[in-house]
Amino acid sequence: MAQALLQVEEVYAGYGRGDIIHGVSLAARVGEIATIIGPNGAGKSTAIKAIAGLVRPRQGSIRIGGEEIGGLAASEVARRGVGFVPQEANVFRQLTVRENLEMGAWIDREHFEERLERVHRLFPVLHERARARAGNLSGGQRQMVAFGMALMVEPRVLLLDEPSAGLSPALVAQMFETIQAVNEGGIAVLMVEQNATQALKISQRGYVMAAGRVAMEGAARALLDSAEVSELYLGGRR
Amino acid sequence: MNPQLLVNGLVNAALIAPPAIAFSLLFGVLRFPNFAIGGYITVGAFVAYAANVELGAPLWIAALIAMAATALLVWLSDEIVFKPMRGQPPVTLLVVSIALTLILEQVVRPIYGADVRGFAIPLQRPFKFWGIRITEEQIEIIALTILIAALTHALLQYTRIGKAMRATADNAMLAEVRGIDTGRVIMFTWAFCGALFGLTGVLAGLDLVIEPLLGWNLTIPIFAAAILGGIGSPYGAMAGALMVGMAEELTVLVLPSSYKVGVGFAIIAVLLLVRPRGLFGQPEIKK
Ligand SMILES: Nc1ncnc2c1ncn2[C@@H]1O[C@H](COP(=O)(O)OP(=O)(O)OP(=O)(O)O)[C@@H](O)[C@H]1O
Ligand SMILES: [Mg+2]
Repeated sequence: MAQALLQVEEVYAGYGRGDIIHGVSLAARVGEIATIIGPNGAGKSTAIKAIAGLVRPRQGSIRIGGEEIGGLAASEVARRGVGFVPQEANVFRQLTVRENLEMGAWIDREHFEERLERVHRLFPVLHERARARAGNLSGGQRQMVAFGMALMVEPRVLLLDEPSAGLSPALVAQMFETIQAVNEGGIAVLMVEQNATQALKISQRGYVMAAGRVAMEGAARALLDSAEVSELYLGGRR
Repeated sequence: MNPQLLVNGLVNAALIAPPAIAFSLLFGVLRFPNFAIGGYITVGAFVAYAANVELGAPLWIAALIAMAATALLVWLSDEIVFKPMRGQPPVTLLVVSIALTLILEQVVRPIYGADVRGFAIPLQRPFKFWGIRITEEQIEIIALTILIAALTHALLQYTRIGKAMRATADNAMLAEVRGIDTGRVIMFTWAFCGALFGLTGVLAGLDLVIEPLLGWNLTIPIFAAAILGGIGSPYGAMAGALMVGMAEELTVLVLPSSYKVGVGFAIIAVLLLVRPRGLFGQPEIKK
């Protein structure tokens, strides 16, 4: 099988003393959406932060398009085509919506206008509230700013840490549609989600993390159908 | 009321404003109150003195030399002192910064002693309008400060590095994620603020006298202005400087002028009382 665009192999990482994730391997392939699910504190965010360059892997390898990026600073990882939307503190609260989107385009300003238009098409409210401070927006609108920022460049891989968190059910559906649309535009997606069922439905691959390890992995369809996953993480039968 | 006091207050505010802006900018990106500013300002004043009086350079050239020298000094103080201590608690860094200011003062003292000095500029009669006295230097101080405030505003709002400074102050982690090299942003911030401290040394030397305690004496009003304006907010610092500068002068209406130095302390004390979460408490995050 062809090598995945993003290939994480046997990564150990944590915050200072001790590891939080122990030998985690993940992959995101061109054109695919992969979803990580798992209980709180499983290390999902830590794994994704290790890829984004915010947590230094102590061991293991992280490659994008074959190039090793493990241990690079986050700003360098971003320049190699990895877009990241963190779970928390994911907007510049003191900056306006428009300025947030400008920051999104920091490393590539060439297509600023057309990308700004694309983001405004996806989230019209960001156009209306362009001059509002991001910190004054509702949680859902902030989530759109955070996502919009990552779309102001053309990442090869998009890492999303709970993109639907804090959204109303209608907006959750819209967010997943947006993720799908972005993916169809050729961007590989690796996301962490609590809305596990919905996320797996739009994914090709799924990972279940528990206690800092990948406990299960496979085709998203297979995870959705698995009685065990359903029992533990999807809230019973669907 | 005596309008002379308002003019004095304005000059006072104009001296405090640029360093208060710089103090706030530094706090924004580094998250600790840097009390080494007193030392930076003093060094700036003496570098300008050396260039102007000892080497005979015109004052404006001496001021540029002083700004360059303090920018370098302030950047070096980060490389040597603060950078290795990143991530330490703010209180630790605060204490280190006070130590640094004492060291800088002790570097100046053996060279120049405790004598008071002044720049080589011709003594001029102050202008008089409607009984208000103001010197040419004081007018220059006010004009330069307005210019500095406008330039800082333009820097922060319209330039790429300025926006990166605001983004880094807001959320350094996210700035990195967006591809901003926050290390370089911090370096630029140190150098920019260093130049402002150097300029402050020159302006203070013009209005007051040049002596090793010059910077230290300005530290409390600067700090009071910065926290009054909401620390980390350069615009607040401008407003804070105006309030502290005026308040210092206006107290002479009710108290002997020797109490002037207590005004900054009093403002800090009151702020501590009304903001029990501490001077640096971040505003509550709205969900
Ligand atoms: N900055 C940090 N410093 C120290 N420990 C941390 C830090 N962030 C997370 N941890 C710890 O690492 C472990 C895994 O956290 P992580 O955020 O990766 O979990 P998660 O799977 O994303 O959970 P959630 O579903 O709640 O987001 C937790 O025990 C947490 O306390
Ligand atoms: Mg998480």
